[in-house]
Amino acid sequence: MKRFPLALLAALVIGAVQAQSLTIYASRGEGLVQPIIKQFEKDTGIQVKLRFGPDAEILAALQEEGSRSPADLFWANSSGSLEAATKAGLLLKLPPELLSRPSEFVPSSGLWVPVSVRFRVLAYNPSKIKPSELPASVMDLPQIAKLKGRIGWTPTYSSFQDFITAMRALKGEAATKAWLLAMKAAGAKAYANNPAMLDAMRAGEIDVGLSNHYYIQRLLAGIQEGEYEGKEEDQVKTPTSSNPAAKANVATYYFSKGDVGSLALVTGAAVLKTSKQPALAEKFLNYLLEAKSQQFTVDQVREYPVVSGIKLPASLLPFTEVVGRSPKLDFSKLTDLDGTLKLLREVGLL
Amino acid sequence: MVRTAGRPLPWHFILPALLALAGVLLPMVYLLLRALQADPQTLQEIVFRERNLRLLGNTLALMLGVLLVCTLLALPLAWLTTRSNLRGKRFLSLLLTLPLAVPGYVGAFALLGATGPGGLLETLLHLNWPRPQGYWGALGVLTLFIYPYLFLNLRAALLGLDPSLEEAARSLGYRGIAVVLKVVLPQLRPALYAGWLLIGLHVLGDFGVVSLMRFETFSYAIYIQYSASFDRVYAAWLSLMLIVLTLSLLWLEARALLGLNLSRVGQGSARRQTQTPLGRWTPLAYGFAAIPIAGALVIPLATVGYWTVGIVAQQTGLSDLLDALWNTLQASAPAALVATSLALPLAYLGVRYPSRLSRALERTAYLGYAVPPLAFALALIFFSLRGLPFLYQTLGLLIMAYALYFMAEAIGPIRSALYQASPRLEEAARGLGYRPAQAFMRATFPLLRRGLLSSMALVFLSSVKELPLTFLLAPVGYDTLATRIWSYTSEAVYAQAAPYALIIVVFSACFIGLLLTQERR
Repeated sequence: MKRFPLALLAALVIGAVQAQSLTIYASRGEGLVQPIIKQFEKDTGIQVKLRFGPDAEILAALQEEGSRSPADLFWANSSGSLEAATKAGLLLKLPPELLSRPSEFVPSSGLWVPVSVRFRVLAYNPSKIKPSELPASVMDLPQIAKLKGRIGWTPTYSSFQDFITAMRALKGEAATKAWLLAMKAAGAKAYANNPAMLDAMRAGEIDVGLSNHYYIQRLLAGIQEGEYEGKEEDQVKTPTSSNPAAKANVATYYFSKGDVGSLALVTGAAVLKTSKQPALAEKFLNYLLEAKSQQFTVDQVREYPVVSGIKLPASLLPFTEVVGRSPKLDFSKLTDLDGTLKLLREVGLL
Repeated sequence: MVRTAGRPLPWHFILPALLALAGVLLPMVYLLLRALQADPQTLQEIVFRERNLRLLGNTLALMLGVLLVCTLLALPLAWLTTRSNLRGKRFLSLLLTLPLAVPGYVGAFALLGATGPGGLLETLLHLNWPRPQGYWGALGVLTLFIYPYLFLNLRAALLGLDPSLEEAARSLGYRGIAVVLKVVLPQLRPALYAGWLLIGLHVLGDFGVVSLMRFETFSYAIYIQYSASFDRVYAAWLSLMLIVLTLSLLWLEARALLGLNLSRVGQGSARRQTQTPLGRWTPLAYGFAAIPIAGALVIPLATVGYWTVGIVAQQTGLSDLLDALWNTLQASAPAALVATSLALPLAYLGVRYPSRLSRALERTAYLGYAVPPLAFALALIFFSLRGLPFLYQTLGLLIMAYALYFMAEAIGPIRSALYQASPRLEEAARGLGYRPAQAFMRATFPLLRRGLLSSMALVFLSSVKELPLTFLLAPVGYDTLATRIWSYTSEAVYAQAAPYALIIVVFSACFIGLLLTQERR
């Protein structure tokens, strides 16, 4: 109880001496956020106050706080929550210099910038399934007889829902519904999240699962960091490892180029309307797009960068190949989350 | 019990009681405000649909199952750790309480990681235990991590039980089991009801465990509404429906407690309890106690520890760990104290001044607990920013939030203790010239010691692992052990979560241990 008022006092004193401080609400895991923020503080002398929590919690808090919110920035774990913030009118328009930095995935609204990219892939158990047995398109997955009752998915997970939104945009409402029903008929098992699904694969409950790419990467515990050639002091001591028991039996299967099963999704960040210092907040967004921060995201988080010139570990695909993998689709079409939830409710998945 | 109905309620209890209730009712007001924003068409689509009814059925089935199994587990354990001649009863009690310190979703995930082919159990012991899933999985895992609610309540009641009642029964010719059925069990009713209520409410509200077990319950629908749709309006409707369910539980419990009559009528203080020798049953008793300890502590913690094996660069800085530990302590310990202080007047009024009003007051305290914590936190944001903006994002508000939310957990043990403390003592103190508040402090309060300690333990353990309230109400930049664990596990970086998970259990163990040593005096 003693330290808190002291810390407050210290914060006040520091605040008075040097007025520059930013309040960031982040819905990414703290371990992925904190190192970048510490480095930012060191590099710029700007103090950062960080609140973190899951997407839904942060977003709901922002809306309840309304105009009284002390936050300057929202650093989100999914484009879906950024679009929800856009809809709620929480975000400030960003300057074109900032928006032109990422090589792709910038929303037409110009209200947020992408920070990292993740892909939808198929995780499979190589001791049970050969890649040659898997279809080129995710649309054909429920037709593979060998996989009946052996497929896992995560209907409640935001990236999965974004994937369904993309499928609706690319293949149409009817085809998406048919696919969902076919998957259900094929006995697809619903898991709460990707780690739980991959653990179920380890335990032999399923042989394949629709996942985000980095969960598999992290499970494979990329300690073999031979490709990395950065300067010693820049090198992040990676190994964000994981359940070693689960190491053995998982591999990544990429659906064909342009298939909706290879959809790219982004995380991003935005300046809030409540910010009293938008210029300073934009400075932070710029920092997130700098090579140093992007390199950290790649090494530590195992996501893909949004700017070119970042060294990727061997386990990730080359950047140029990555950009072309995802189906071409107007990014603003990925915002109809309500329609997707309605469809998922209709087929009884939610 | 001395009939006290009709006496005017004492103001020194009424005031704090009303204060506590105001705090608990705020979230209701908030939910109603949000619910009123709904549009009927969408309401039909999201809230009033057949699937939700099915989920409701799942929830009820799960609740009944968990209640039954928890009772079968907690009742014998509570008896063994208070009334038998087992060695190390205090240590055993500590171990049996600790599953409450394991955040449910961590425990569930660890148990999944331990089972099935390639799991920890198979790797180390060549034991291919089936993976928990579905109804039975949810039932088993929930039971393992929440039976201590009942255990602690029953334990406090058993310790406060006057053995002369059992002796009287024996002298009237009853023996063995008959004494238990005729005398002990009826005395345990308030504790049973209080424990059942907490467990029932917990099952109603749980999302973390059931989702990992792939068993869909009603709170699943609420969670999806908040998290997938980023919606607060229809989620409020679903939350209100859950609260109606809670109300019916509370009503059932109130009916069951009606006319309960348990305090000692004899003179003098209760005598020391005798210990039943177990003889050749001793190994069996230890074996029975080992089941929940293995399932809820040893296996999950071993699994979490195992995740750190082979990690080359362990990055967890000691200072981060200590920081999170200190933050956890400075919010949870005061919260335990405040919650217990708030619960005391409510329980006192309910027991000593039984009337519709006082019972209603006491019951309302549980309503806060029935609100999904996310909604509770949003309500406090809503009201604190509008009413007391200087409180927002301060430690004070976080402590208040914990205390109000977990007050319901504190009521049970205090109430059981009050039922067993004779009101005559207090009346005598007043007869001797003490003012009512003094009389309570001198005569009744010392008898409530065990109940109060149990209450504090329950609130403390819950606050330590609490997530949504901490995320939304803590001062900016404030990490607790639980938020750290969430942060790492949500990104599937288990190795880094492991030290925090281990610390949370060790730390809670120290706190509970401290409380248990206080019990002796």
